Amino acid sequence: MRTTEIAIIGGGPAGLRAAISAASMGAKVTIIERNENLGGQLVKQTHMFFGSQKQYASTRGIDIAEILLKDLDKYKDRIEIMTNATVLSIFEDGVISIEQDDKYLKIKPQSVIVTTGASEKFLAFPNNDLPGIYGAGAVQTLMNVHGVAPGRSVVMVGAGNIGLIVSYQLMQAGIEVKAILDASPRIGGYLVHASKIRRMGIPILTSHTVKYAHGTDKLQKVTICQLDEKFQQIPGTERDIETDVLCISVGLSPLTELLWQAGCNMKYIPELGGHVPVRDKDLQTSIKGVYVAGDVAGVEEASSAMVEGRLAGLCAAKALGHATADFEELHNDCIEQLNSLRSGHVGEKIRKGLEQVAM
Amino acid sequence: MLEKTGVATEQDLARVTPSKERRAKGPVAVIECFQRIPCNPCQTACKTGAIKEFKDINDTPEIDHDACTGCGLCVSSCPGLSIVVVDETYSEEEALVKIPYEFLPLPEAGSFVTGLDREGKPVCRAKVVKVLNTKSMDRTPVVSLAVPKDMSMTVRFIKLNDYFSDNTIVCRCEELTMGELRELIRKGYNTVDEIKRISRAGMGPCQGRTCRQLIMQEIAAATGTKMADLTVSTYRPPVKPVKLGTIAGGEHGE
Repeated sequence: MRTTEIAIIGGGPAGLRAAISAASMGAKVTIIERNENLGGQLVKQTHMFFGSQKQYASTRGIDIAEILLKDLDKYKDRIEIMTNATVLSIFEDGVISIEQDDKYLKIKPQSVIVTTGASEKFLAFPNNDLPGIYGAGAVQTLMNVHGVAPGRSVVMVGAGNIGLIVSYQLMQAGIEVKAILDASPRIGGYLVHASKIRRMGIPILTSHTVKYAHGTDKLQKVTICQLDEKFQQIPGTERDIETDVLCISVGLSPLTELLWQAGCNMKYIPELGGHVPVRDKDLQTSIKGVYVAGDVAGVEEASSAMVEGRLAGLCAAKALGHATADFEELHNDCIEQLNSLRSGHVGEKIRKGLEQVAM
Repeated sequence: MLEKTGVATEQDLARVTPSKERRAKGPVAVIECFQRIPCNPCQTACKTGAIKEFKDINDTPEIDHDACTGCGLCVSSCPGLSIVVVDETYSEEEALVKIPYEFLPLPEAGSFVTGLDREGKPVCRAKVVKVLNTKSMDRTPVVSLAVPKDMSMTVRFIKLNDYFSDNTIVCRCEELTMGELRELIRKGYNTVDEIKRISRAGMGPCQGRTCRQLIMQEIAAATGTKMADLTVSTYRPPVKPVKLGTIAGGEHGE
């Protein structure tokens, strides 16, 4: 059976950063990526990132992916990259099975870093299966990866960072955004993103949701309505908006199937997006040798996912005996960066969630 | 309120607006960033030290407007596009507002666009003075707009449509736009002849047959004068452009 020291499941921002840091310590690493290309969601992000210089602030996501790939290339003798390869399972004995180009194979790594990311949440409303109703991630893939306009006009559901950013990108692509709805009475995303959209004349309707989608073989219009403070629909507030695209961006759920299979101790933490693994300060789960980083460990920004990846990579390599003299310094730097990214008002929710899963 | 609408309130703005005295001295950055989020590229970009060092990366930027030179380096470095530079010394009546603009097509220098406020409402016409798009700006170009001085703290975005018909051609031969004509009238050129002399409108192949009427209408509208009371332009020969050689050649058969 094939072996490796550290298998990294998922080649997004957390996984790539984990691979770079583990390889820089001297570990032999295998990245297993389901898509054809590495970079995960970074390659769809045409906006400048927040954070500080250490997390590539003010650089566009798509360019950060390039930077990471260049860094990865420095350690190419120690990093094996498998693309079009989906991990199907993690077994009790630590063996992982993979489907790659219709072939089945198994690898026995000494440690695993799970960086599978998250999937999009959906909404239940009548006719939500009409063509023209997309998740925000699909809209970004169509638009920013394939250069295809999803439609002529869009109603966005969700005023979190993703909803706001994708709305802005749609406008950049010349597609009319008719309104952004959010069930919450407050805008969830960064207010600078919200202000940037508002000055283009796009309304953000807080305390609103989509009630009904209309159309025969594709979306033609949506009925929206207002919500009261208990998130109940207020009768009589319905109105119709004609549109051929409805984009749903109502949050992410950690993609944790493999962690459940591995037998990790999981907890339901709404602040982190759903079920997430209990972990120690090195990002090791309750199962020895199984580490996590990025959205799978709790939905956050890509900047913290990259720092978590770096931390998990360092710790997994160290546990396998690859110690470097500056380990403590690097380790502390990661912890400090994470604390700083999570220290503000916006990080309050994350801090509250993380307190409950610390081991 | 900002958290509900995405639009800064007057109280929010009062905290970040440079004083009138400071604005009267020259270009200055206005940072409309009100929420504590982990972000500091503006501080990293600032070369004069006007944006003070952050104690905590979540701090909202604090800027010493007196130390700010209005260089604008922070404008395209802000991931939230929340910074503009305002220069109220641009001209007697106009202020310059420099905004980040990440859309194609970019406006052309010299063209007129519609100035939008923080809610995207059209508030005034704005003339594009300059479009800066260097490599270091990394695809966040900065558009300099001349706007009426009292709009300097209001205009924050633009629409490239011709809301005020400013880009509409008045004189096809000499390519005078309505916006340029209006600018001339505002400056006090309010007869067809004065406008002809300063802009060449009416001096092309059609000799004013297209623009004369339109210019008079605009002068009448802008100055509140009746068409009948306006000074008519002087009509001089020739009524159509003629080659100098044709005339120099003398009368045929002479």
